Amino acid sequence: MTLIQPSRKRKPRARRVLGEFPSVESLLAGIDALKNGGYDTLETFTPFDIPELDARLGLRRSRIGWLVFTCGLIGMVLAFGIQWWANVHNYPLNSGGRPVFAIPSFIFPTFEGLVLAASFGAFFGVLAWLRLPRLWAPIDEVEGFTSASIDRFWIAVGAVDADDSGERAQQILRDSGAIQTIAPADV
Amino acid sequence: MTTTAVDSVAQSQAARDAVEEFPVVYDVPDDAALTDQILSPIWTRSRAWWPLFIVSGLLAVLFIYAMGVTFVRGIGSWGNNVPVAWAWGITDFVWWIGIGHAGTFISAFLILLNQRWRASINRFAESMTLFALVNASLFPILHLGRPWFFYWLIPYPATMGVWPNFKSSLPWDVAAVSTYFTVSLLFWYLGLVPDLAAARDRAPGITRRRIYGIFALGWRGSSQEWRHYRVAYTLLAGLATPLVISVHSIVSLDFAITQLPGWHSTIFPPYFVVGAIYSGLAMVLMLILPARRIFHLKDIITEAHLSNLAKLMLVTGSMLAYSYLCEAFVSWYSGDPFEYYTSFVARPLGPYAIIFWLMLCANILTPQLFWWKRMRTNTVVLFGASLLVFAGMWCERFIIIVGSLNRDFLPSSWHFYAPSWVDISLLAGSMGLFCFLFLAFLRWVPMVALSEVKRLHLDMRKERQPVKVRAADGAAS
Amino acid sequence: MTAIFPSWATRAARIALACGVTALVMTPLLAMIWVRTPLARGEKLSITQPVPFDHRVHVNGLQIDCRYCHAGAERSAWAGLPATSKCVSCHTQAWISSSVFEPVRQSLATGKPIPWRRVNELPDFVYFNHSIHVNKGVGCETCHGRIDQMSQVHQAASLTMGWCVSCHVNPGPNLRPLTAITTMGWTPTKSDLDQMKTLTADFKIKRLTNCSTCHR
Repeated sequence: MTLIQPSRKRKPRARRVLGEFPSVESLLAGIDALKNGGYDTLETFTPFDIPELDARLGLRRSRIGWLVFTCGLIGMVLAFGIQWWANVHNYPLNSGGRPVFAIPSFIFPTFEGLVLAASFGAFFGVLAWLRLPRLWAPIDEVEGFTSASIDRFWIAVGAVDADDSGERAQQILRDSGAIQTIAPADV
Repeated sequence: MTTTAVDSVAQSQAARDAVEEFPVVYDVPDDAALTDQILSPIWTRSRAWWPLFIVSGLLAVLFIYAMGVTFVRGIGSWGNNVPVAWAWGITDFVWWIGIGHAGTFISAFLILLNQRWRASINRFAESMTLFALVNASLFPILHLGRPWFFYWLIPYPATMGVWPNFKSSLPWDVAAVSTYFTVSLLFWYLGLVPDLAAARDRAPGITRRRIYGIFALGWRGSSQEWRHYRVAYTLLAGLATPLVISVHSIVSLDFAITQLPGWHSTIFPPYFVVGAIYSGLAMVLMLILPARRIFHLKDIITEAHLSNLAKLMLVTGSMLAYSYLCEAFVSWYSGDPFEYYTSFVARPLGPYAIIFWLMLCANILTPQLFWWKRMRTNTVVLFGASLLVFAGMWCERFIIIVGSLNRDFLPSSWHFYAPSWVDISLLAGSMGLFCFLFLAFLRWVPMVALSEVKRLHLDMRKERQPVKVRAADGAAS
Repeated sequence: MTAIFPSWATRAARIALACGVTALVMTPLLAMIWVRTPLARGEKLSITQPVPFDHRVHVNGLQIDCRYCHAGAERSAWAGLPATSKCVSCHTQAWISSSVFEPVRQSLATGKPIPWRRVNELPDFVYFNHSIHVNKGVGCETCHGRIDQMSQVHQAASLTMGWCVSCHVNPGPNLRPLTAITTMGWTPTKSDLDQMKTLTADFKIKRLTNCSTCHR
């Protein structure tokens, strides 16, 4: 997990224009209109998952699965290794004359180790991947943005030049049904 | 949300069928109103909540007191004897952990099976799992004799120079239960994050906004966040699914790998897993029936949910009946006089015959009600049936454990088991702790997976316009 | 300003989280380090006996064999402590009238043993037989340390189960010829070393790691 605070001491990002939509349909229409208008760096903020957005925003499938897979593999090897080390190598344990290296018995903790490590990978992996916790972000300063977690759908239009007033992007947003637009801001 | 990860498959027949009988969500006004409705118990104090919280809290104190007695005076304060060395403690353990299974079943299995109706009840079920596991994990620790050395069960480099014996089923238990608890907690919390963000943004007053803000970790619902979150959450569900099967299988191996008639049976792992899910479904029903009434959730937790849960109980109950039959058949077929005696004499006619017959009636006959649609949606019947199954499944574990142990191989070793007041207090107290934790959950945590229900609502609106308007009164209350 | 957190909140949360994780990891780690220190095992414990008996004088000065006083060492499960009469058999004159001998005089008069305090204490659930160790080549020094250098006897070994087991898995290197059992500061000679190679076989010692070896 990085301890670098986002955005403040880094070079200022290109300013973004924001638009607030009342529904998924209008959000999708807004994205299409913006892309037709030549705006490609878009980010949305929605109260629930809308997988249909990925294709429109040019987002690929998350690769977090590989992290989870790797963690699971490590957990599996570790769990089996601990059992081998403990019961076979370090202190060969004679339990009722059973074979010391009793692989069938070791399957259960090995499986649990796999699941545990993979779950840690998924949970902490996704938090680290998303740079969470991030209690403050510049976008929090936008008036009314909290509706993004309730019932509104926001678009942040990136790559607005420094000299651009953002008026054209805002116009597109309004035309496709935005109920509120925010002039270019460093968010 | 994850249900939508495979949105194209969302039109599958299974999903449609779930929708056909009853709508899985009635037309709630809009997402903002929905959010406020679900979150309102957090902001407004309900009059009934405090008395319930205090009563269950007192029971939890009884639990702690009984635990204290066990710590100080040891297992001798329980009713256990020789040969009944395992008794109520292990019965309670198996029972609680079984109840926990339905939570993961509902949230993980049903995600993978693309059953979208789970969205309305998965938070209840997952929370129930978590709190049941808190209880479940306490009982084996209490039974250790020297519970303060519980960490000896973990393979760490100890100064003793020895390690847990991984050829025993008990360290498997430790691995399974601790993994299950941890994964359930992670799964529960990850699912909560978007809803905690909603609570943060809807909370009255800066203090509460900040508290929920800290727990929401700064979730903002950006397209980037959802993209990774969706995969991580589905993967957790995928991991939890085999996990839930492994846990009760391993618990069953505590019995099945021994050589006691009544325990030594190959049917045990599937038999235990099915029984576990069965008892957990009963618990889920017992929790959502009052909750949907008190918190006015009938638009979100509809007759479809009740009916589906009842159907699942019918299925798992019938599988359990098959397991009973299979166990009895094998003990007859084995030709072993001890097996035969346990199954056909000691259990049905022995000192615990009443509990045995109660178990059979409660677990096998009760769910047969659910062949009828009217029974599946009648809340009184559902609650009563769930209560019976809830008790019946405890009886089952008691019969398996005490019913097998008390009639040892030699009649001279036979010993009747009766619980001590500590045993009874531990069981009652654990129920108190469960209710205490569950009430705390209702009070401080979003009780329905908001973001998923919003999505479900949207899908339903899209699929069938207009959404079925809730039939005036008529239908089940 | 509409944000609920100031801009430094993110960093603060991450630092708090890092501290929490560190505490979570360090607490058991420190506990594990602590139990491995001589202090935690009681090796540094100063045990004052009723009579300030000095082993240095008796072992070095008077050259008394360990077994003269600890007579059970090779015959019984407990090495044992000498009866008061055994002390007095020598101390008829020397020291007997001094004030430090008051407990000895008391013991003689009343017939009650001197309340010596135990230094090497094993838990009750451990079955320990002193004689088998001595007879199979475990020297006094191996477990009790350089008694000949102790004015006040203290616990020399950690007495953890791991310490017992470390020898039980492979006793060979810790054994010595029976002639050197009570020797303090024993350094094997060339012939000893040759003999040591066969000691395990001579004593018919196997790996002794069954639970029931010590826990019966």
